[in-house]
Amino acid sequence: MTDFSEAMSVATSGMKAQASRLRHVSENIANSDTPGYQRKVVAFEEMVERGRRTGAVAAGPVRLDQTELTRVYDPSNPLADDTGHYDGSNVNLLLEIADAREAQRSYEANLKMFDQVRQMSSALMDLLRN
Amino acid sequence: MHSSLDLFQTAHAMARHAGARQAVVAQNIANADTPGYQAQHIAPFKDVFRTHANAEIRATRDGHMTSTGQIAMDAVAMASKAEPSPNGNTVSLEEEMMNSIAVGREHNRALTIYRHTMTILRTSLGRN
Repeated sequence: MTDFSEAMSVATSGMKAQASRLRHVSENIANSDTPGYQRKVVAFEEMVERGRRTGAVAAGPVRLDQTELTRVYDPSNPLADDTGHYDGSNVNLLLEIADAREAQRSYEANLKMFDQVRQMSSALMDLLRN
Repeated sequence: MHSSLDLFQTAHAMARHAGARQAVVAQNIANADTPGYQAQHIAPFKDVFRTHANAEIRATRDGHMTSTGQIAMDAVAMASKAEPSPNGNTVSLEEEMMNSIAVGREHNRALTIYRHTMTILRTSLGRN
């Protein structure tokens, strides 16, 4: 039974981590036209509890993508400098969409896993019932 | 059969093995995007059971406890067949899905064996 509850909590941690990744992707997409915005990236890391690896996963600290900001030419913009350019964001929409899709796939895999474990434990319960 | 109930113990070991394997598969899937994570796995039941049967402790009296039903189930890093992804992760989601289905079936099989053994016992007791 501990295996089952462990598997369920691990699958839940996976779903949580993917959801937080998806949240940051949506932040990036929402701010794709914000001047000076640097896209946020999260890396996943294994959780360690009392020096022991639990096998669960967590979203790591948020880091800012350090790639260069795009220079946008718009002389009428109040932020524009002498040459008529201002700093845009470094968000690449294509990249964000791909990332979102990957997060969705992984989320589904975790959900499937959760369901499978639930079915197994309920089959065990059925055995006890009759 | 009725004196030792080996079938129950085998079914029990098999169900436990399936549970442990499922936990490892869940771990792999949760870490499918973790950089540097090495996929883990547990050897299939038939291999584990066979190696265990060879190293069986011999009981000198009927009342002695043997270790039947307790098999080694340690997760080991899987020898990666496929190329790891650029971030060093060796989990393949497709393979893990297949494993998960196989494990589900193994668990079902174990429970079915258990239920049928129980039915046989009930029949022999005349309480069908």
